[in-house]
Amino acid sequence: MAAAPFKRILIANRGEIAVRVVRACQTLGIESVVAVSAADRDSLAAKMATRAICIGPEAASQSYLRPELLVTAATGTGCEAVHPGYGFLSERAQFSRMCAEAGLTFIGPVPEAIEVMGDKISAVKLAEEVGVPRVPGSGRVSNAESAREFARKHGYPVLIKASAGGGGRGMRVVRRDDEFISQLAAAAAEAQAAFGDPSLYVEKFVERARHIEIQILGDKHGNVVHLGERDCSTQRRHQKLIEEAPSPVIDASLRRELADAAVRLARHVNYVGAGTVEFVFDDDTRRWYFLEMNTRIQVEHPVTEMVTGRDLVVEQIRVAAGAPISFTQEQIALTGHAIECRINAEDAGANFAPRPGRIQTWSAPAGEGVRIDTHCFSGYLVPPYYDSLLAKIIVHGRDRREAVDRMQDALKRLQISGVPTTAPFHQQVLAHRDFTAAAVTTRWVEETFLPSVCQAGAA
Amino acid sequence: MSTDLTHSDVESILKIIDAAENLNEIEIVHGSFRLHVVREYNGHSLGAPRTPTAPHAPPQANSNSAPSPEKATAAPAAKVSAEVPPGTVAIRAPMLGIFYRAPAPGEKPFVEVGQRVKADDTVCLIEVMKLFNSIRAGVDGEVVKIFAENSALVEFDQVLICVKPSEG
Repeated sequence: MAAAPFKRILIANRGEIAVRVVRACQTLGIESVVAVSAADRDSLAAKMATRAICIGPEAASQSYLRPELLVTAATGTGCEAVHPGYGFLSERAQFSRMCAEAGLTFIGPVPEAIEVMGDKISAVKLAEEVGVPRVPGSGRVSNAESAREFARKHGYPVLIKASAGGGGRGMRVVRRDDEFISQLAAAAAEAQAAFGDPSLYVEKFVERARHIEIQILGDKHGNVVHLGERDCSTQRRHQKLIEEAPSPVIDASLRRELADAAVRLARHVNYVGAGTVEFVFDDDTRRWYFLEMNTRIQVEHPVTEMVTGRDLVVEQIRVAAGAPISFTQEQIALTGHAIECRINAEDAGANFAPRPGRIQTWSAPAGEGVRIDTHCFSGYLVPPYYDSLLAKIIVHGRDRREAVDRMQDALKRLQISGVPTTAPFHQQVLAHRDFTAAAVTTRWVEETFLPSVCQAGAA
Repeated sequence: MSTDLTHSDVESILKIIDAAENLNEIEIVHGSFRLHVVREYNGHSLGAPRTPTAPHAPPQANSNSAPSPEKATAAPAAKVSAEVPPGTVAIRAPMLGIFYRAPAPGEKPFVEVGQRVKADDTVCLIEVMKLFNSIRAGVDGEVVKIFAENSALVEFDQVLICVKPSEG
């Protein structure tokens, strides 16, 4: 048996991802020390790990978000490496740097890669350098004619945006040539009022956008591979709710285009570790644009694991220790279809308000093609300090239809009492003809699905 | 005479500095305490890390004489709650860090079992990445037990020392 890549690692995270990383450590024969806040002393990850260490009070700002405490906990317990999970400090270049300075291996990319990808402007610039397109945008537009020129070149609809803007203010959708004069004037006035600057620019508006992302993996020997795509178009307010692999809307040649772009970008920054390159896919024109790159393991990584049969967290730890990726691009084959539903402690009927509390009973489905990633159990108190993710249900089927059926069956058998969950919401989405027909776009939940459910409820 | 700064004092100072505009570097001297902060400016770091900038050691410890933590071994899952003898008050770790009984290696410990302490007396130090925090007794009385080992990692809220409060 091969030697373990590390003797002991610190897990700087909580919830289901801490459990997931403990499992990967067990697979690799590595001792795990999980850093916990006072609220997580009795967490499942704490029980499963070799050791738990309390780093601070409940509030994340005084525990999970304090790099100096996590570095001290790691060095003080004799750890060689730190796994940051997702969220919290996972994409803070400074944390990666502090780990390195303390002699710890940060399980993720070098600080420079986190920095360059974490900054939207530099990331987009890098993407353009390697020929990966971004959503087309104009420079400053001073009159209707220059705006029209842009719109004719890139096609309607377009979006007028304030140069100094943000938060949707000063934004106007324009669908026809003759709308520009009035819309530009209104947008400029709004921009002037909101930001004290009337400057505007025009951007291509992707009306029917799907979110498609490519999983990549790089090692310290210059190898970069991709593990296909995930389609995360079912979102609410930019929060992903359902993810699947492969995407139901792209074919092999589009997959190759997106994957090539992602690998090119990763190679360009000598990327080491697991990463995700996100794209906006225009369902009408079938064009795609670079959105951003996430330099960490993602919540939805299990759908990729289900269709590739590869353990991404294990691979992440191995490459951090300097090992080459344990497979080649040619050895990656996508088999069947996987879907993930995020089960949150939220009341979908009350605008998805978080509802922490004591879980009275927890009974999760198991069986052929069903995987549950969770930190919950009967009697577990969902603390109010962190996010509301309780579990991820992941199913695998021979095709999309079988996967949807399996998910429906799994959701039916999921029994949770004590806190409301988003499971009923998922059942309704999966049963909707738009989901079955793969016609869901990133604004579909808010613009189509929820209004229809409200109407049905009122009738 | 000046009193020592606590960990939260230092944090408050850092927050004020952080919020201040047009401030790149500051040095604060308070008794034997010296805080030197260099801030990132226009995205360029001028040297020192920003938060939580390590001050030179507080009065009790000389910055370069801090003992280094012994290489920890695979400790079994730590049990944070220690047996606190009845009628005593537990002094708990307000933060995770390295526990030091003395101001510097080779120096006399702050307290020994049987010693009488005042509420304001420093009983130990906890170091978090070169930032030394003085931990006070919080109560007048007699030290009856010291649980934590010198230069060992202590967890948040772990019982460090027990003090039997003075009568009346």
